[in-house]
Amino acid sequence: MLSSCRTHSLIDYFSIALTHGLIMVAAWRLLFRGDLDDERAAEPKPDKPWLKNRAGGSPDA
Amino acid sequence: MRDIVLLAFIGTILLMGFKRPFLWVLLYIYVDIVSPQLIGWGLIRSLHLSLVTFIAAFAGYVVLDSKEGSRFTLRQAIIVALLAWCGYTTLGAVFQEFAWQKWDWVWKGMFFAAFLPLALRTRLRLEAAVLVFVLSIGANAINGGMKTVFGGGGYGALTMLVDMDSGLYEGSIMSTAAIATIPLILFLARRGTIFPPSWMVWSFAAALIFACLLIPIGTNARTGLVCIAVLGVLMLRQVRHRFLFAGLAGVAMIASLPFLPAEYVERMETITGFRSDESASTRIEVWKWTYHYALANPAGGGFDAYRGNSFTYDLPEITGEGNNRQITYSEVTDEGRAYHSSYFEVLGEQGWLGLFLWLALQGLGLWQMERIRWREKAYRSDRDVFMHDLATALQHAQIIFLVGALFVGIAFQPFVFILIAMQCAVWSQWKLARKGFKPSPVAEKIGVSQEPLVS
Repeated sequence: MLSSCRTHSLIDYFSIALTHGLIMVAAWRLLFRGDLDDERAAEPKPDKPWLKNRAGGSPDA
Repeated sequence: MRDIVLLAFIGTILLMGFKRPFLWVLLYIYVDIVSPQLIGWGLIRSLHLSLVTFIAAFAGYVVLDSKEGSRFTLRQAIIVALLAWCGYTTLGAVFQEFAWQKWDWVWKGMFFAAFLPLALRTRLRLEAAVLVFVLSIGANAINGGMKTVFGGGGYGALTMLVDMDSGLYEGSIMSTAAIATIPLILFLARRGTIFPPSWMVWSFAAALIFACLLIPIGTNARTGLVCIAVLGVLMLRQVRHRFLFAGLAGVAMIASLPFLPAEYVERMETITGFRSDESASTRIEVWKWTYHYALANPAGGGFDAYRGNSFTYDLPEITGEGNNRQITYSEVTDEGRAYHSSYFEVLGEQGWLGLFLWLALQGLGLWQMERIRWREKAYRSDRDVFMHDLATALQHAQIIFLVGALFVGIAFQPFVFILIAMQCAVWSQWKLARKGFKPSPVAEKIGVSQEPLVS
């Protein structure tokens, strides 16, 4: 009985630690994701952002 | 120790929320599903965690968050209407004390569901909400699954994270929720960006699905077995090699039979022989009573109206075996039996109008998700795979819930309303992306009526 209680207690700690740990890692990763608040941040950035406003011209021109 | 860990976890996320207020919304989803205040033993029990996180989530959105992309959808309006109707029926409820007790947690779940789609205004937020939902249910599923493996199961005997018999800690409810979560786990494993697909993610997903499948076995919940069957059928819609999947599922089922506890097999056999089972016989009598009650009281009897029921019926009892088998009938009187079905729960408590609103809420969800699935089918060159797969997962989760709900009274459970809220957000985002911004007829009218004042 005692060992069963102990096993159950260990299972409780394990399931809490695993899932809460994963939620914490997810929250940490979300902190640094720009697209969490703004969809446009997910769009791929141009190779040379300083040339993005040069309409029609190739970056090498 | 538990209290310290849980409080440290909640405190850290609260602090992180000052950088990203949306994290408070996620925290409320977690608190709503896991109920950490019930897991701990000391200080955490005395804190109003639910209220604190609710205020943080709501205020964070209203004060600190951008509203770009937030839309109020028809289904949110239905949730608000249902909430108002529930409030009205509670005022005139037959059992005032019990009705207010139920209202206390129902209104929070519904109010949050009406609000949540506004905050879920980007894809990443949607994914994050699904992830926290899955991991929160997972906390209980992993716990229950492991205890089943180590021999802690049995009908009404499996104690999960909290030793109580209500909400997600009740066997049948958790079984339905755990199986309904499986499509969402598969979605995250395939399309997740917070935890991108990798062997580690797939291993965890497989283990979590296994744990979810163990819950109906550990709790001996017959509803869970029905839900697993529904999941199997739904998976056939999704998998590429249908015959291979059906064959493998059959082999897995046969192979698992020797490992199932005898008690579980015995109980599952009563699904087909329901006439000789008191629990099943009672259900049918309760459903009959509820139907007649709703005819006499079209506006329903308010929350927990079932407490007024009383009925007598003949329960068949089989004695002897083979040729000596005899069926005798004994008279059984039951009082205050729960509905054992969400549909009858809504009918008895909220009457015909409540049932109509609730069914409209569910039916519209099925249709909206199907609409997205249809538009984003595989042969479309400009298809949006993320939206297709998420709509599919949410629809499958809802169908599993709707089938499980036939046998369990879970119409107002918060996890169901979170699912509905996520569907509203998917619909809103998908419409915005496909059709662009178009003011609703109501908004247009308001705009027109204000025009002369402006000029």
